[in-house]
Amino acid sequence: MSKLWTSKVSPQLPEPVKAVDRVPLPPKNADVFTTACDYCTIACGYKVYRWPVGQDGGAKAAQNAMGVGFPHQQMNTAAWASPAQHTIVSHKGKPHHVIVVPDKDAKVVNVGGNSSIRGGTLAQKCFNPETRTRERLQHPMIRVNGKLERVSWDLATDVMADISRYVCRTYGEHSWAIKMYSYQYFENTYAITKLGMATIGTPAIAPHDKCSNTNDAAGLDDAGLDSFGASYQDWGDCEVAFMSGVDPYETKTTLFTTWMMPGDKKMIFVTPHKTMGVAWAVSQGRGMWLPIIPGTDSVLHNAMARIIIENGWQDQEFIDKYVANSWEVDSGYGRGTRNTGWQWRTTWGTWQSDWEDYKKFVLGAEESKLENAAKITGLDPADIMKAAEWVAKPVNGKRPKASFMLEKGNYWTNNYMNTTSFASLGLICGAGNRPGQVISRGGGHQRGMMGAGGGSGWLNPEKYPGRRKKSFNLDNWVMQGKVKFAWVFGTTWIAGMMASQGLATKMLDQTRGNPNQITSLDRAAIFEVLKKRVDSGGMVLVDSDIYPVEPLNTDIADIVLPAATWGEDDLTRCNSERRLRLYSKFYDAPGEAKPDWWAVQQFAKKMGFDKDGSYYWKDSNDIFEEAARFGRGGVLNYQPLVVEAKKRGMRGHELLRTYGTEGIQTPIRVRNGKLVGTVRLHDPNNDWGEIEGTEVQIKSLYAFNTHSGKAILLKSPWKFSGWIQYYDAIKPRPEKGEIWVTNGRVNETWQSAFDDLRKAHLMQRWPWPPIFINPADAKPKGIESGDLVKIHNDTVYMQVGQPVGVKDADLNFNNLMKDGHIETTEGFFTAVAIVSDEMRPGVAMASFNFPGAPANTVVSAVPDPVTNNYRYKLGRGTLTKVGESPFKHNFTAMSLKPRNIV
Amino acid sequence: MTQNIQIHDRTQDEEGGHLCMSRRQFLLSGGAVVSLAAMPGLAQAAAIKAGYARKKIGKLSALKAGEPVAFNYPFADVRNILVKVGAPAGGGIGPEKDVVAFNQQCTHMGGPLEGTYKAKYQALGPCPLHLTTFDLTRHGMVISGHATESLPQIVLEVQGDDIYATGVMGLIYGYAANTGRA
Repeated sequence: MSKLWTSKVSPQLPEPVKAVDRVPLPPKNADVFTTACDYCTIACGYKVYRWPVGQDGGAKAAQNAMGVGFPHQQMNTAAWASPAQHTIVSHKGKPHHVIVVPDKDAKVVNVGGNSSIRGGTLAQKCFNPETRTRERLQHPMIRVNGKLERVSWDLATDVMADISRYVCRTYGEHSWAIKMYSYQYFENTYAITKLGMATIGTPAIAPHDKCSNTNDAAGLDDAGLDSFGASYQDWGDCEVAFMSGVDPYETKTTLFTTWMMPGDKKMIFVTPHKTMGVAWAVSQGRGMWLPIIPGTDSVLHNAMARIIIENGWQDQEFIDKYVANSWEVDSGYGRGTRNTGWQWRTTWGTWQSDWEDYKKFVLGAEESKLENAAKITGLDPADIMKAAEWVAKPVNGKRPKASFMLEKGNYWTNNYMNTTSFASLGLICGAGNRPGQVISRGGGHQRGMMGAGGGSGWLNPEKYPGRRKKSFNLDNWVMQGKVKFAWVFGTTWIAGMMASQGLATKMLDQTRGNPNQITSLDRAAIFEVLKKRVDSGGMVLVDSDIYPVEPLNTDIADIVLPAATWGEDDLTRCNSERRLRLYSKFYDAPGEAKPDWWAVQQFAKKMGFDKDGSYYWKDSNDIFEEAARFGRGGVLNYQPLVVEAKKRGMRGHELLRTYGTEGIQTPIRVRNGKLVGTVRLHDPNNDWGEIEGTEVQIKSLYAFNTHSGKAILLKSPWKFSGWIQYYDAIKPRPEKGEIWVTNGRVNETWQSAFDDLRKAHLMQRWPWPPIFINPADAKPKGIESGDLVKIHNDTVYMQVGQPVGVKDADLNFNNLMKDGHIETTEGFFTAVAIVSDEMRPGVAMASFNFPGAPANTVVSAVPDPVTNNYRYKLGRGTLTKVGESPFKHNFTAMSLKPRNIV
Repeated sequence: MTQNIQIHDRTQDEEGGHLCMSRRQFLLSGGAVVSLAAMPGLAQAAAIKAGYARKKIGKLSALKAGEPVAFNYPFADVRNILVKVGAPAGGGIGPEKDVVAFNQQCTHMGGPLEGTYKAKYQALGPCPLHLTTFDLTRHGMVISGHATESLPQIVLEVQGDDIYATGVMGLIYGYAANTGRA
């Protein structure tokens, strides 16, 4: 096999967009469904109108189901369907029109029917052979002689069961792995984790976005803050929003446009990319742009904290009441039993703190002095001062109501320290537990994980010093050749992870590179071949997805299973304010595509796991009701709804359906016999005393999520060796001409663009991913907007060993390197330049996971030793002009204008 | 396996090869089949049917670069701008192919785009409601924002110095059909 796997797709002009000048209207008797958006964490409410082809409604209000007369001039409502909001689907085998429009009657989230371009084009996601959705996977396939051949579900799952039994018996359950989405609906995630964690009991399970099943913003957890404690109303109610590593306009659209734009709220954006939300807020005199050098946020936070403390602007009353003193900090480090990752974090005396100790740390740290902080962060000291004033300086004796939002630009760089320092900054400003004063993630995906419990983390050979439990790193496990069978559910495992070319090459070697390849469709013969495969060091890979994913199922997988998705089954999940809703089924899945829970069920039956009555689900509602019991102790608890439904003789899904797009915020509680949602976590007003019905009392409802119920201040010393060694190793090297190549998502693209590629309007906008480059970095290389640019990093570090840490420094970069646990690889990708001063000089921004151009290839894959999380946004590389892209001079695809014209 | 970058630059075909034919002929003639390969984005000739009136909306000689002029089309209450953007543009007319016309209502939620033209970028917006911007050199494509359609482009034709509107590409906000309204 080749040394390095590279993509086969290339930038080409997309198919033309139809300039349609009419859209059919639903007749009065059209079927109407409520649902929510399939994409970003905000999850706007949508309505689906469905009617048989040939029975269109009329333009008068009385003639159509929207109840609106056309044409009209009503602004700022969703009383219009654009052509992209219409498609034709199959329902019970017959063609039906559907229009999918934001819910104009929405009272929450996208109040009045606001939307993003992603959700606004949901209709184009639905399978319709007239569009590129015809590329959907429709039948199970097995790779025979290198080609994927259509087979039956029966044969596919037989083959999977045959080799799975052999692998588990011969090599142990930890060689049987799952890589899964954590978000694609409770019904699916419950079924998948039940299979992997409870039934098979493997520790080798990782979510879509991480090598390991870890907390994302671990510093928040350690401070006692739930990452999703806030409601959208809080972001509307705050007077100042400090937003770190995020512009919600780009990635949480209606949170910004519905909740944050109105009024005179001040906004501070810490990001090297001056995107539209930033530019607009600055132009309105309401915004500050802090174009930080990637990875240095902890220094900014501590410098701001120092200014606040020196001036006495901290919220002392809040600190005295809600922040843990040293005795309270020590009580199990606030997190319960001693055998936890958090316990490890406390042991070295580096982080935990109380108010006095934190103050001493902040005032004593060299890096928190304004001039030093300005140097490290690359920010203007006056801006740091001003930001501290905005969030904390009382005006006319009144403290500003400040809220603190973080996202991936923050926690996917210096994972632990950015989040600890961020939490501490917010806490001393009195945020964390009351209206308009919150500390919370903005969110990425929606919250669709309902774990079935029964994890087997203790089987993980990786340990922290002191043999403390460490989360399982699945990428590392693959790199060591320990995985014999892997089932992937709806993820871009390879491109989504760091040092992805190295990972792709290894996985290709383990599968297609192994001499034992399937050559027939005979079940027994396939088993013999796959047995030889795993016995000779290879691996068998199964991929469930809705589309071809390069290279995972196009090049690598032995078995490919077609999944049914949004709109094709009744499914449920929460958004980032914990709002639970039913996502209605309204059309037939294509071909033999089935929801992932169904595929799990078939496999479980073939394995004989159903003998005790398990996996007996008639439909997705059965799983919804079963899973409710497993979420009772968490913040997504919806058990009271299921119990209430039973009481009324209804099914759980059907009761939830009556809540429409409004849904109900979890954890669901009961008061006077009625179901009540929870607006905000950690809020003392949530303490109602006695609990009622099946409600479960969890402390994070009304107190901070620590042993003492008080928040914990954490120190974050810049020179911590677990961080600074890595930072020094992966920084751009001026002698090589490298700059930072960070990555993220533009507003008009959702994740790996799996749907966008099939939506003509969005494909026209972004037929190939951009890289935003400051003119100062582009000009010396002769790079202009529209040019194809190759981004190359010749030193991409990849941790391949799996050490047991014995001494403090064993898991730090220099020691891992010295002990031979890090391999040096390389990575490159090609993107289309947009040269614009919206970027900070010395930092370029690329799309993180677009097919054919994964920017993660230039990022090192050595996890944060404290949290086991990758530092995804810290890429580097040289930029070289390859030539002109097909988009440079054309008029039809890919606008090259700056994205922040105000 | 190596990375194979294919560059199909169709720009020459698109804007150079068919200048002898007027835009309107191009769109309305049976020549649509020919145009499919040559004119991505404008290819859906079938959508532009007779049914649009031909209306004189201005004179080339009266246009100043960067200064939009308002006009109504195809109905008296549909607001558009005619603008010489000063750079070659998709669907542009005039000697520099830089005169274009677009509808003025944002295709997200109908926000008014009057007065938002940004001459430096040949862009319309940001929409005062939710900040969507549109690229007038690329058929009204969304630059940044939420509109699920490009801004409807008014098809133009030149006769001597006179500029005529002859059709609309894309559905106007608030309409279920641009033509044939009650």
